[in-house]
Amino acid sequence: MREHVAHLIELYLDEELQGEERRYVEAHVVECAECRARLEWERRFMALLAHARPLYEVPESVRARVEQMRARTPRVRPRAWSWALGLAALLLIGLALRGALRERVLPPTADHTRHSSEFALLAADTHQRWVRGQLPLEIRSQSPEEISAWFADKVPFNLKLPSFREFPGQSKPYQLEGARLVSFKNDYAAYVTYRMRNRPISLLVTSETVVRPSGGEEIRAQGLVFHFEEINGWKVLTWSDRGLTYALVSDFEERGQASCMVCHPGANEQHKLEELRR
Amino acid sequence: MIRRWRARNHAEREFERQALAYLDGLYNFAMALTRDRTEAEDLVQETYFRAFRGAAQKLPTGDVKAWLFTIMRHIWINDRRRRARQPDAEGLEVGEEEPGRAVMADDRHRPDLLHEQNALGEAIRRAIESLPEVYREVIVLRFLEGFSYSQIATILGCPAGTVMSRISRARAELRKRLSPYVYGEYAADPPHGGANGEGEEKRLRRGGII
Repeated sequence: MREHVAHLIELYLDEELQGEERRYVEAHVVECAECRARLEWERRFMALLAHARPLYEVPESVRARVEQMRARTPRVRPRAWSWALGLAALLLIGLALRGALRERVLPPTADHTRHSSEFALLAADTHQRWVRGQLPLEIRSQSPEEISAWFADKVPFNLKLPSFREFPGQSKPYQLEGARLVSFKNDYAAYVTYRMRNRPISLLVTSETVVRPSGGEEIRAQGLVFHFEEINGWKVLTWSDRGLTYALVSDFEERGQASCMVCHPGANEQHKLEELRR
Repeated sequence: MIRRWRARNHAEREFERQALAYLDGLYNFAMALTRDRTEAEDLVQETYFRAFRGAAQKLPTGDVKAWLFTIMRHIWINDRRRRARQPDAEGLEVGEEEPGRAVMADDRHRPDLLHEQNALGEAIRRAIESLPEVYREVIVLRFLEGFSYSQIATILGCPAGTVMSRISRARAELRKRLSPYVYGEYAADPPHGGANGEGEEKRLRRGGII
């Protein structure tokens, strides 16, 4: 028997031959007794190996530990909370609609509600896991330039974090901590973390072509439309500007507008935040 | 929103169900890699820890089984590299076989051995354990776990052609090691070279293969 055919028989039995080669082996073993015997012999040899499975039995202690690990792994949203979170979200939407009748708050845009909620939920959930120490940062740096450069070849959009410019008599009110990538809609979003007065703030950024903000309470300020939601106790502000969509998460008062200082820390910019107050 | 959460919960439960179903296969692969029960147990637990943690962030799409085996092999390779860099590794290089571990060091009181009473099963286990690591892993992945060549190439991070040649050589090595049990007096030679079908069947029967 030629070695070539012997090798083809192995590939044939491993289901790795297609088309012409497969038909060649099938036709050849009909005519060649030697190769037919070889094929049957290999087939039985493989069956013997397969029947030996499993070679080792998993110890019960390992099985139990893996099961425990599964039970303890934090979920994106614990199952038991689903209904409560759903009701809370409905309540928020109801409040936003009621506010729309009274004040300058506009009703949410129905077209984008689904995407907006998804992005805001992801931002809140990512923030929560980072605060709990369950989500490590991939880069730790206080330099916005370094973090912007780190994202440069990792996300499909251009993200330039603002540098803090000190004004006379003003110290830096926040600290940049680091960043990581977060999966969103088959691509990566940029996740950046800060602390201000020892309270955590995070910023999730993606392209406006991936998601547009909407849902929750809609507020017009500084020529932009902000969407405010409170998720699991976190204040989430989402908006789009110059081709990017942002979600800012914090536990600051009112609508969490103080967290906007991570990009607008200047004294002359503070009045801009006034419009986001309740 | 509730519908979306339900869908997510359903997907999570389905992932967990699938992941736990591969525990036996992963443990066997871990034993093939480490040849040490304690190390295999650690490897399995670390694999599940990383898999559950990764899935909590983003559920894997596609082949969950291949994904889990890939995670396990990455952990094993990284762990070996790390140990090889440590000064107390006594110069053991990555890829080098430890001579004293051609078979399991201590097989006494081993409740995890299924085939202790089964000579052929025990022979297969020992034969696989005695192969070099590059052959052990492809034998387990192909013949015990049923992965295709391309899946194995993904798990091992090497070209499909490399997988093909490794499987072919591993097969030949395994034949040699199992020859006393499977082929009787015909040793390592595969049944070709003038044998007709009838004669072959007699040999196989004598060797216990059928």
